[in-house]
Amino acid sequence: MKVDIVTPDGVLFSGEVEAVAVPGVNGDFMILNHHAPIISILQKGNIRLIGENITIEDELADKFTLKKEEIILPIQSGTVEAKNNKVIILAE
Amino acid sequence: MANLKDIRTRIQSVSSTMQITNAMKMVSAAKLKKAQDAIERMRPYAEKLTELLSGLTASLDSDMGGAYAQEREVKKVLLVPITSNRGLCGALNSNIIKQTEKLIEDEYKDKEVELITIGKKAYDALTKKYPVIANKSDLYDHLDYAHVAEVAGEIMKDFVDQKYDKVILIYNSFVNAATQNVETEQFLPVKTEKSDSNLVLDYIYEPSQAEIVLELIPKSLKTQFYKAIRDAWASEHGARMTSMHKATDNAKEMKDELTLQYNKARQAVITGEILEIVSGAEALKNS
Repeated sequence: MKVDIVTPDGVLFSGEVEAVAVPGVNGDFMILNHHAPIISILQKGNIRLIGENITIEDELADKFTLKKEEIILPIQSGTVEAKNNKVIILAE
Repeated sequence: MANLKDIRTRIQSVSSTMQITNAMKMVSAAKLKKAQDAIERMRPYAEKLTELLSGLTASLDSDMGGAYAQEREVKKVLLVPITSNRGLCGALNSNIIKQTEKLIEDEYKDKEVELITIGKKAYDALTKKYPVIANKSDLYDHLDYAHVAEVAGEIMKDFVDQKYDKVILIYNSFVNAATQNVETEQFLPVKTEKSDSNLVLDYIYEPSQAEIVLELIPKSLKTQFYKAIRDAWASEHGARMTSMHKATDNAKEMKDELTLQYNKARQAVITGEILEIVSGAEALKNS
């Protein structure tokens, strides 16, 4: 599953992950492969990218929290669109 | 003809000016590159947002602008001229100031006009003549989305509270280093565009489609505001680079001219000296 995290100040992440958990307005939810097409508003919270060998660029590393097989990015608000195993997160 | 020492001093001062303008040109070229990169970087976000928004509004029947799209009888207008904090960048800032004055004197002559200036130059020029209620020049110190969104948010709130009936942005849009166009853009009320592009996919909407649109419109407004400032920022450095380049060229030309003058004067002095020696020798021979 391909995930892009885009902010007005640049693309923060673009790569393959196994799953992504996002803070939806009606509660956190996780998107896995073959998820039905969805558009949702995100509230303040953490985006969690789950998978092995997720790499992020060095200069952006301080925005993320790295854990074992998991990367966490805090956001203020955002929107997520998922279709055809491609997830685009517009974050602030 | 001016004496040698005078010319020499002038050559020296022109040279040092040339060094300064040349250095400023280099600095601006580097900053321009950065500013252009920043515009590039925000493009994916802006494009995706527009795509989502137009896809969502296309399949909705009613006009979904909400409070931000409300067209009212225009009584109070807010103008937001965006200039740079520093000068030495050609006609860039005076174009914006002129355009702002023109709008106040012509188009909104009978309306109540207030201004929020962004950039020290606009503030200095306009504050004496017109009611400038706020000056947001410090945005340039840390130019990022969060700070700009905050200012945009305040303006949007004022519009919703009916403090203003129309908000106009005046800024330089960046074409290339040599060209910047003065842009007068209606910020609020927002014009929602109906597009024909239909999202064929059946999406799950969370919450509802209409609520998502209402959530996305402020975001797209803030992005629009941010883009205007980013453009103004790039324009400033482009214009400064070009004008400093011209200044360096002019200084070089002037230096060449002065050097020629200096050599002519030097030649004249030598000729004069030889003439004196020869005529002195001639006088001795005759006696």
